[in-house]
Amino acid sequence: MKQRHVAVVAKKELAGIYREKTIVFAILLQLFIALFSSFLMVGLTTMYDPDALAGVRGFQYGVGYVGLEEGDLYSIIDDRRDLAVYQMDLNTAIAALKERQLSAVLWVSASPPDGEGPVLLTLYTLQNDMQAAIVEVKMKEVFLEYEAMLREIRSDRLTMEPIRLTFPEGAGTSNYFEFVFGLLIPLLIFMPAIISAALVIDLICEEYQSGTLETLLSTTVTYTEMLWGKIMTCILIVPIQSAAWLALLAANGIVVDAPFAMLLHVIAGSFVLILIGAFCALHYRERTSAQFIFSTAVVVVIITAMSVPYNPLNILVRLGVGTMGSIHWLVLAGMIALGALLVLFLNRYADQISRLPLTTR
Amino acid sequence: MRQGYLRQVSVIARWELLRTLTTMGRGVLPAAIVLFILLVAASGFAAGSGVHLQDGIYRVGTDNTLAGQIIAEDTRFTVYTGTSAQISQSRLFYDVVILGNNVYYSDNEKGRAALTALERVYERYTALISAEEPDLYAAYPLWIDRRYEQSELDFTATERGERISPVPQRDAPTPRGPVQEVATPEPSVPHEPEVLREEITRSARQDDTVARYTSVIGQESELGTFRTPAQLAPPLPYDSIILIFVFIFPLYFTSQFYMMSIMNERIERRGEILLSAPYHPSAIIIGKAVPYFFLMIAISLVIILITALPLVVILPLIPVILFFLAAALAIGMLARSFKELSFLSIFFSTLATSYLFFPSIFANVHVVSLISPLTLVVLQIQGDAFGLTDYLYSTSLFFLTAGILLYMGAKNYTEERLFSLHQLIPRTLEFISACISKRYPVVSLGLLGALAIPFVFMAQMMALVLFFNLPMPLSLLLMIGYAAATEEVAKSIGIFTLAKILPGGLSWRLVFLGSAATALGFVAGEKLLLFATIAQVTESVFGSILFLSLDLLWMPFLLHAVCVAVIAIALKAGGFRWYIPGIFLATIIHVLYNLAVLGVIGL
Repeated sequence: MKQRHVAVVAKKELAGIYREKTIVFAILLQLFIALFSSFLMVGLTTMYDPDALAGVRGFQYGVGYVGLEEGDLYSIIDDRRDLAVYQMDLNTAIAALKERQLSAVLWVSASPPDGEGPVLLTLYTLQNDMQAAIVEVKMKEVFLEYEAMLREIRSDRLTMEPIRLTFPEGAGTSNYFEFVFGLLIPLLIFMPAIISAALVIDLICEEYQSGTLETLLSTTVTYTEMLWGKIMTCILIVPIQSAAWLALLAANGIVVDAPFAMLLHVIAGSFVLILIGAFCALHYRERTSAQFIFSTAVVVVIITAMSVPYNPLNILVRLGVGTMGSIHWLVLAGMIALGALLVLFLNRYADQISRLPLTTR
Repeated sequence: MRQGYLRQVSVIARWELLRTLTTMGRGVLPAAIVLFILLVAASGFAAGSGVHLQDGIYRVGTDNTLAGQIIAEDTRFTVYTGTSAQISQSRLFYDVVILGNNVYYSDNEKGRAALTALERVYERYTALISAEEPDLYAAYPLWIDRRYEQSELDFTATERGERISPVPQRDAPTPRGPVQEVATPEPSVPHEPEVLREEITRSARQDDTVARYTSVIGQESELGTFRTPAQLAPPLPYDSIILIFVFIFPLYFTSQFYMMSIMNERIERRGEILLSAPYHPSAIIIGKAVPYFFLMIAISLVIILITALPLVVILPLIPVILFFLAAALAIGMLARSFKELSFLSIFFSTLATSYLFFPSIFANVHVVSLISPLTLVVLQIQGDAFGLTDYLYSTSLFFLTAGILLYMGAKNYTEERLFSLHQLIPRTLEFISACISKRYPVVSLGLLGALAIPFVFMAQMMALVLFFNLPMPLSLLLMIGYAAATEEVAKSIGIFTLAKILPGGLSWRLVFLGSAATALGFVAGEKLLLFATIAQVTESVFGSILFLSLDLLWMPFLLHAVCVAVIAIALKAGGFRWYIPGIFLATIIHVLYNLAVLGVIGL
């Protein structure tokens, strides 16, 4: 196998990709999803944390309170700056809730705090509504506080001794860190790998289906060189796209911890996926079947990988948040070894296929 | 001998079905079956061992060995134990530090996230211990009955461009409408303590994020609406995420086969045989689509049956299926090579998925959410039946765009167009030019202006959904600029294409008449579609930007005509290099006009 020939084929494919301007679509796609992730960050955090919006300070959600007496629960809600509580009767309160003049309605049963049975509350909010979600989080805090009070009152009836931990007050919550770093980033940064693997199928099947393979092989380029030229092309564009991702995310204010190590892992992972794609393409030599089998296979591979500790996607997450020791070099070496093994098989398989007549399956 | 049209369609459909089955049967089916078995096995394996995606993202340092053991059960935490001196010394290394019984966190985004996760873990642990208490109502004295009310959509509140929000006030609010009698809630928990115990243990053991999603299409809590405070999980309005995964992806995946089928006709001029047969091009296109259409309907029905949703849910999915097929046709006819096909289809699927997904997040919050047919599915799951108006409103754009794309496909299903290998943008223009008659260019331009409307609406709706939750002045300005730009681009495409295909380029007569015709078609299309559907959106402030002052028809007509003329003159006088600057100038004029009508700037 001559490197020069591989480079020539790779150049031809790269020029093709550039000329067709499909890469422009890929970049547009990235911009679009970057816009999408910033939308998620800006839009959803403001919805969940109204204080995050400047100018909405002192924002209060109205809660209708339907109860017999103004006990501890009433004062807990009343003491909060973000909830305004009104004593009302049930029918009016529900009507006001439906008109969105209230965010929640609370109906309190008459059972005594120190009684035998439970204290029962009924909480009404609007269904499937952003605001209801916010209010429910706030009401949950209220209920937990009230529950702790009731437990205190009834504590002489308790027997178990769990470990006590005291949590700091008012730390605020962070709903989106885990979503962004633990789900969005690994998916986005790995997407170019999947795209490239689909691309290698396109490049190989195209030679067969449009009958250009014969012309290509009548030159000094051998079948294996043709194959590796295409594989090289697909690997080359992965780090470019993934780096573009990381840059776009950084522009959105989401900065990962170890971008270079992440890129290495993405390259290794995409190498394995691209080789799987190449297998499918060589086997079927027809795009519909190859892509169909490949996409199903990828789902199987990814699900299986995800259920193993220290899988490549988990490594990407850990590298992103900066809790990865040096163990990831070991995983990287493992991925490269797997790739090398696949290369051996692929070359033998390509050897077999190249002796077949140049037709699709 | 010519056959009837329906007969033609059915012959092609049968032929397509046979061909797919034979190619599939030869090598794909065995592999697919093996892969499917593997998929089931892999899913079982994943369910058994858990998903290890977020392992070890937080670091906890503690001198409390017992607490450390409890926390380490959650794989997200890596726990380091040591003496308090050791831990304090390297405290910057950890996200959370536990010394004795006190929890400390590092004051950054990650530290707060770790603390939140830790609180959840601790809550689950105490819940499991307390469920064992002999006196259950001492450990769990408080029970909450969770009830949901339906709200009428209220758009006046969104006029300010913010979330709907009750204004804080001193006295209790008084409802404007009639007050109805509400049933008084249960005064006691209608379950035995043993049942409660089991439920607390069960819910503490399962991951509540997963539970939140599965409860949409899965098991409810044993206790119906009753919860302990710790079990309250906000009902995120994210049903639509699940719906997207469950319904849309299989449909998109199936439409790929149609795309490939069209593409295969174009490889090595294979489609010539069909073209030479006495079949109408549209019969070929529709016939080839029929098997996939029914396959997609069948897949949707199976999913509906599995998830136990009402059958009515299929109705909003039909326009989505048609739209996917039409887009698959367009992409299959436009792409020059397989890689272009891949990229175009990925690009399209991202756009379409977002268009379907974003609005449905705001189901019940804003009328804009109704632009996605998925919102109807979300509403249906909640038990809100949608009416005919809602249905028309949220699906008409899909029906229309699908229809127009199919029409363009049929028009272009000719030898010359199928086997040409021009670049993407020239090819797209060729496709449009097929719909322009060189003998009556002015009439064609008018029609093209009207046909562009559904696509413009789609593009604008997409932006509307993205922009409407940004702070107010910014979102308005973005919306005005974007709306103007999309309209100018859409209107100018016809003139641009004409300038490309006419042998002598544009004549001055055509510049003026064509601009007037395009504007006329555009305004007429806008009016018609609005009457049919979107009267509701116009009530919100964003709607008023998109559909300004329709009562004075000559004003928008004049504006559109002037803007198209600006671009046409740029093309005539300066050539194609001036196209983009022309669009830019027209957009600026358009924006200024909009601002003037809104009364932001005085004329």
